[in-house]
Amino acid sequence: MVRVETRTFTRVEGSGSADIIIEDGKVKEVKVRLVEGPRFFELLTLGRDYYDVPDMEARICAICYLSHSIASITAIERAFEVEVTEEIELLRELGLLGELIESHSLHLYLLVSPDVFGQPDAINLAKKHWDLVKDGVTIMNFGNYIRNLIGGREIHGINAKPGGFGRYPSEEELRVIEKNFKEYVRNVVKILELFASQRPFGARFDVNIVTDKYLLGDKLMTDDGSLFDYHECIEEKALPYSFAKQSRYKGKIFMVGSLPRLLLKSKYLTPTAAEFFEGYKDLLMERYVSRNNLAQAIELIYALEKSGEIAERLLDEGISGNNVPIRPVEGEGIGYVEAPRGVLVHHYRIGEDGKIKYSNIITPTAMNHALMELSLYEEAKNNLGRMEDERVMRRLEETIRAFDPCISCSVHMVKMRS
Amino acid sequence: MRTLGVFELTGCGGCALNIIFLYNKLFDVIQLYKIKEFHMASSYREEGSLDVALVSGSVSTQRDLEILRRARENSRFLIAIGTCATHGNMQSSLEGSMEEKLERIYGTRDNYMGALNSKPIVEYVKVDFAIPGCPYDKDELYQALILLAKGVEPVYKDYPVCVECKLNEYECVLVKRGIPCLGPLTVGGCNAICLRSGIGCIGCRGPLPKGVNPAGEARILKELGYDDEYIRNKYKTFSGGGLKW
Repeated sequence: MVRVETRTFTRVEGSGSADIIIEDGKVKEVKVRLVEGPRFFELLTLGRDYYDVPDMEARICAICYLSHSIASITAIERAFEVEVTEEIELLRELGLLGELIESHSLHLYLLVSPDVFGQPDAINLAKKHWDLVKDGVTIMNFGNYIRNLIGGREIHGINAKPGGFGRYPSEEELRVIEKNFKEYVRNVVKILELFASQRPFGARFDVNIVTDKYLLGDKLMTDDGSLFDYHECIEEKALPYSFAKQSRYKGKIFMVGSLPRLLLKSKYLTPTAAEFFEGYKDLLMERYVSRNNLAQAIELIYALEKSGEIAERLLDEGISGNNVPIRPVEGEGIGYVEAPRGVLVHHYRIGEDGKIKYSNIITPTAMNHALMELSLYEEAKNNLGRMEDERVMRRLEETIRAFDPCISCSVHMVKMRS
Repeated sequence: MRTLGVFELTGCGGCALNIIFLYNKLFDVIQLYKIKEFHMASSYREEGSLDVALVSGSVSTQRDLEILRRARENSRFLIAIGTCATHGNMQSSLEGSMEEKLERIYGTRDNYMGALNSKPIVEYVKVDFAIPGCPYDKDELYQALILLAKGVEPVYKDYPVCVECKLNEYECVLVKRGIPCLGPLTVGGCNAICLRSGIGCIGCRGPLPKGVNPAGEARILKELGYDDEYIRNKYKTFSGGGLKW
């Protein structure tokens, strides 16, 4: 048996690598090792006052901190049986859209585009394709403008709270969104073909898992439209070679993320995004992991248009800025959010003193872990020995990158329901 | 041209991401520095010596420790960026043995992966400068890099968050509204951004090393009805145990 270890994946968030196990000259297995250290968030929040918990959970991941804090807030409000106003829901959605814009533009323009042009990074890419990199930076900045506005800071703001917000956006601040989003939509349309022309790679998958609304949701949903809570159908197991656990849906490997969202929830898309979804539907329906890049680009259009739509609506209706009062009661709640890279679950049991008694978090990268291994297995099996090793390694990295993994997120993991 | 390396140990990725969030200013930085290692942003990597190493994250695995030692050995000036690197952040506030934590989360006491109890990098190596914050303020890093390129050593912020809160003319949430706020104990430099939201400072930049009065603040919090456990939790979240009374 030969064990080939890849270098640490680059142009992804966090530290991971893969072991390729070869027996009798054939690829037998690929293990994806997420080696970022554990931070034990489920233990850190035990006994803490509910009000402080979303700010702590945000620190799980910088790229998608608002997804973590909003999932946490939702779980807390459900435990207390608190319903927030439509205005608060809309502002949360706007924040998540901002995060999607920030995360997808970072991933597509600055981390994946260099692959398309055979460059090691966006800095080198900028030497020949300055406009492309500049557009990416501008759109990422716009996404962060929204995160700053709703979340309170570009990274790890604490403005979103159970029951509402510390501060509500002003009319002037919302106008910036309304004024700019259309130009950015036009810029993203220009890059769609870049990702559509990528050859398919990675594994094909059968099972999609998403939430039952576009970015928020009350339940999880799969291909046949059936709704469920995560612990009813998703099993997890610990791995001896990784700090992340691995998930299965009723024993089957599944995918979460942009591509599953488009495949199962296209009815929510905004006009321009819907038009391009129809245009590229055949490619997306192939269900190759690599099509997640194209799906992200279409979703980026959706997020820009939708954020403009919400800003317009809030400007029309005006913002009342009223929080909903929160009173702790003993209870249990699950918050589901579609983080940029897929379904995110926060689950708490809280005492009547408002302190956390039980916590469980499942992140999208942990859910995609099994499909990552399968995808690398396919790529290694098809290419190892047929092309030079350096090229194979590059392909493995491109395959991992297509998941847009967030390794920091995935390693604090995940406790079986006690 | 000077050389720069960015190293990530265990954390949320935010302190490396914050460099990418310099936007167009990042292109100023690369006029002055050749980036030889930055795994979040680039597949390019070059071994050898560095003028400046930026290290984020806490030491939470054997692997982190090896990366940190390599960064220290190869660099002339090492900057700890972010509260994980400077104070250990939340993960280092968790008491108990590693075996116990692994058992509670992973269901096994076997430490296959070489996890260590999290500590800030300053406990393992000498650092030449530190920029705390979860995340640090990106302009502070930008200025430090520009100064270093000119041969000038950057200076530490030595005032609490309250100073910038007052300069912004925000209302004092602790005194006026009775909201817990760690601003009086916490290193400034964030422009009191959370006070803009009318929400008390949670202390993410770590405690000021001197001239603070945690016992005084604890007394105020108790008068407001918060108990010892609450105050202890609040104090320890980002401080790596550095705030006691």
